Amino acid sequence: MRFDTIIIGGGLAGLVCGIKLQKAGQKCAIISAGQSAMHFSSGAFDLLGRLPDGTEVKEPLKAISSLPAEHPYSIIGAEKVAEYAAQAKGFFADCGVKVTGDASRNSWRITPTGERKPSWLTIGDFTPLAAKEEKIGNKALIVNILGYLDFNTKFLADSFEKQGTECRIVALKLEEMERLRKNPSEMRSTNIARVMDREGIWETAVSQIRTLLKDEDVIVLPAVFGLKDGSVVEKISETLGKKTIFVATMPPSVPGIRTQMTLKAEFEKAGGRFFLGDTVIESKADENGIIKSISTVNFNDIRMEADNFVLATGSFFSKGLIATPEKVCEPVFGIDLTYREGRENWFNTNFWEKQNYISFGAKVDETLNASIAGKKIVNLYAIGSVIGGTNSLYEGCGGGTAIVTALAAADRILEKK
Amino acid sequence: MVSAARDNEFDVIIVGGGITGAGTARDCALRGLKVLLIERHDLATGATGRNHGLLHSGARYAVTDRESAEECIKENMILRKIARHCVEETEGLFLTLPEDDLGYQAKFVESCLAAGINAEIIDPKEALRMEPSANPDIIGAVKVPDGAVDPFRLTSANVIDAKLHGAKVLVYNEVTNLIKEGDTVKGVEVYDHITKQTANYYAPITVNAGGIWGQHIAELAGVKINMFPAKGALLIFGHRVNNVVLNRCRKPANADILVPGDTICLIGTTSSRIPFEECDNMFVTPDEVDVLLQEGEKLAPSLASTRILRAYAGVRPLVATDDDPSGRNISRGIVLLDHETRDGVKGFISITGGKLMTYRLMAEWAADLVCRKLNVQQSCITMSTPLPGSEKENIDEISHKTWAKPGTTHKATVGRHGARAVNIGLNDEYDASLVCECEEVSVGEVKYAINELDVHNLVDLRRRTRVGMGTCQGELCACRAAGMLADAHKCTDRAKDDLKNFVNERWKGMYPICWGDTLRESEYSQWIYSGVCGLEGGKCETNKAE
Repeated sequence: MRFDTIIIGGGLAGLVCGIKLQKAGQKCAIISAGQSAMHFSSGAFDLLGRLPDGTEVKEPLKAISSLPAEHPYSIIGAEKVAEYAAQAKGFFADCGVKVTGDASRNSWRITPTGERKPSWLTIGDFTPLAAKEEKIGNKALIVNILGYLDFNTKFLADSFEKQGTECRIVALKLEEMERLRKNPSEMRSTNIARVMDREGIWETAVSQIRTLLKDEDVIVLPAVFGLKDGSVVEKISETLGKKTIFVATMPPSVPGIRTQMTLKAEFEKAGGRFFLGDTVIESKADENGIIKSISTVNFNDIRMEADNFVLATGSFFSKGLIATPEKVCEPVFGIDLTYREGRENWFNTNFWEKQNYISFGAKVDETLNASIAGKKIVNLYAIGSVIGGTNSLYEGCGGGTAIVTALAAADRILEKK
Repeated sequence: MVSAARDNEFDVIIVGGGITGAGTARDCALRGLKVLLIERHDLATGATGRNHGLLHSGARYAVTDRESAEECIKENMILRKIARHCVEETEGLFLTLPEDDLGYQAKFVESCLAAGINAEIIDPKEALRMEPSANPDIIGAVKVPDGAVDPFRLTSANVIDAKLHGAKVLVYNEVTNLIKEGDTVKGVEVYDHITKQTANYYAPITVNAGGIWGQHIAELAGVKINMFPAKGALLIFGHRVNNVVLNRCRKPANADILVPGDTICLIGTTSSRIPFEECDNMFVTPDEVDVLLQEGEKLAPSLASTRILRAYAGVRPLVATDDDPSGRNISRGIVLLDHETRDGVKGFISITGGKLMTYRLMAEWAADLVCRKLNVQQSCITMSTPLPGSEKENIDEISHKTWAKPGTTHKATVGRHGARAVNIGLNDEYDASLVCECEEVSVGEVKYAINELDVHNLVDLRRRTRVGMGTCQGELCACRAAGMLADAHKCTDRAKDDLKNFVNERWKGMYPICWGDTLRESEYSQWIYSGVCGLEGGKCETNKAE
């Protein structure tokens, strides 16, 4: 099998890169092992929330020049980052993913435990706040589904009350949920969303909410609606004639999964091949180190060839990086990594402090090429969270890194032609 | 006996909420005494909750310590009757590997039989049929009546019974001083870590059941006990590799016991002397992890490819005999000290040494001495009185009677609480919702634990219900349970701090083994709690037990 570009990894970075290349006329394949980090999305993509020294970032684009040299944004360059960030919104809109937000100024998302975190692009289901202390309304009706425990109404009510919003918590009891409830482990977001997606069900939920509603001016619901349809929140709001906001739940994330499925469909619609549930075993290179082909578990001895290879395999959780007691390595190509030797240097004994291992990952140059044993591999690119040099959790830049590096790598590949 | 007039006056005060203190409180309460049990943290946070959970047959001690072996097998048979819901009758094997001396086997079996332990040499092939995960290279096998015991459940059951018989139990209450009049201990001065208040309690006898921390309690009475903290590290694996306890048939050494327990199995232990300062904040070193893995794989080779859930360590309260302060001559047996005859301090006794297995006997000895001093004639009945949860004949029947809807959750719940499970309300849809999928803990069970079992935080809840003990190590269940505690305590800030502590406490057992799947799970936790939830600023707390 032969492609122009083979992308390994079907998460946010892999899909964005694949869609851009495919739409530009390339023949692309994405090899995906399965779930991606979008399945436990926070509901928003972050660009930069904090500098490594802890300084809060309000204007991400302005802050990029303050980042250390090894940060992927610094490697790409502040100007380019701004350019790709500007492209992103239109890119998602073209794919049918509605996002709001602006790269020049962070907005705020409400987390499942009621915290407020800086964000860049917020998925359409959610309502970003312009300021951290913004009040969602005077009186809120927080509505849960009875027995659904991944939506923490108490934590949310408490956090809203701190901003002066009076809160009342109620739970819906829907007959349609009874079958789920027979096995209590089924009361999870995606299963509830599947029931809600059936004809007339969310409408039933809404009429129940109507009977529970008193004088509240805002309704807060868990984001368990719309595995296929991203506009349920607007429909509920219209039907009730009240401001309605969804708040992200503990994983799995319904809007995250829908976004991933939408992007995958967009990639396939453009003619890309998405190989789900496959894993790359090894690669072959020529005498100059140029990668020629890879083999996978499912295709066995049928080799997959391409001009370019993009590594978008993520970090440890998605096995883009593998840690053994002795070392950290990248399992597909064995590319060079930035990481600290000695296990004791990988972690902090306080879970809530910065963990070094999160910043481990691929060494890349300004063209996002990876290297093996110090030698640049000109047709191998690394994008997304497999890249090292940033503690994306602490700095709040995981989503941005994925999107910006994916768009940048696609450009480098297209420039070559 | 003495019906004390005031509510801060008791017949006996027991210091230490480990299994020894809990057992002693129960024994004394069953004999009609008015009992106060005081624990500075939660129940079972010391050595009690940090061991193998092995229901020793005594075979391990048969060659080297006949007395301990005899005590073990007697108590083993008693616990099977009185604590059925805490015990799993798995059987045990003592395996001889090619590198071990097969000659040891004959001496081992002879010593077992002499101690009253039914040890039977079996064909290695038969042993491999009994336990397919055992090393196929074994050259010898002996079957013994080992089993598994859940120390948290056992402690909780003793406390429940003590309370049912009138005992008062104070957790998170620390003894800051002993009240002395002349050469007599009259009571204790206590600081309540939750209410931040101090209080005095009085009794003619105070029992020191503080384990390794008992040396400090003794010092408060002006008495010297020579204790030697010996740290033992263990590893927990993500699933149950073996169903039969696997031991090495050789002189006791490092990492030679693999015990199945609930959904997991554990290998241990190492043994090293540590300074007293470390007792409150033990950590597992890379060397200890390496030794445990290396030796564990010899017992069950599949451990090499099994995910390690966490590492933890406990400290054995070893006591030097009085005539040997150097500590060379250390006993692993039960040590009961009457400080009146030993040191001239009246109203104060210490019960220490011993093992989880012999806790009941230790409690019996201590309660006998208390009764002698109080002139109470009641004799011990704990060897034949079932613990709460184990009274009924057929636990399966309880399961059927308890809830209309059958399900695996019921089995798990009855497994944890025995006949007491009837007290767990699962009346509506909300109660039946699952908080923890790995261990099948329902909302009803969590509510029961919060209301009835002295649960103050998530770590306490884990010890009572196994919330967060499974393969995900509290990924989602911790947040769900935190929500319920916020409800119960009417305080979300406290519940959030508690959640942060819980996550940190889980991390403490994971960072010594932070590679492979453990690191993957940790990264996922980071994404969920620091990323998606955006929680920050948790601190490391010492003294949080496993």
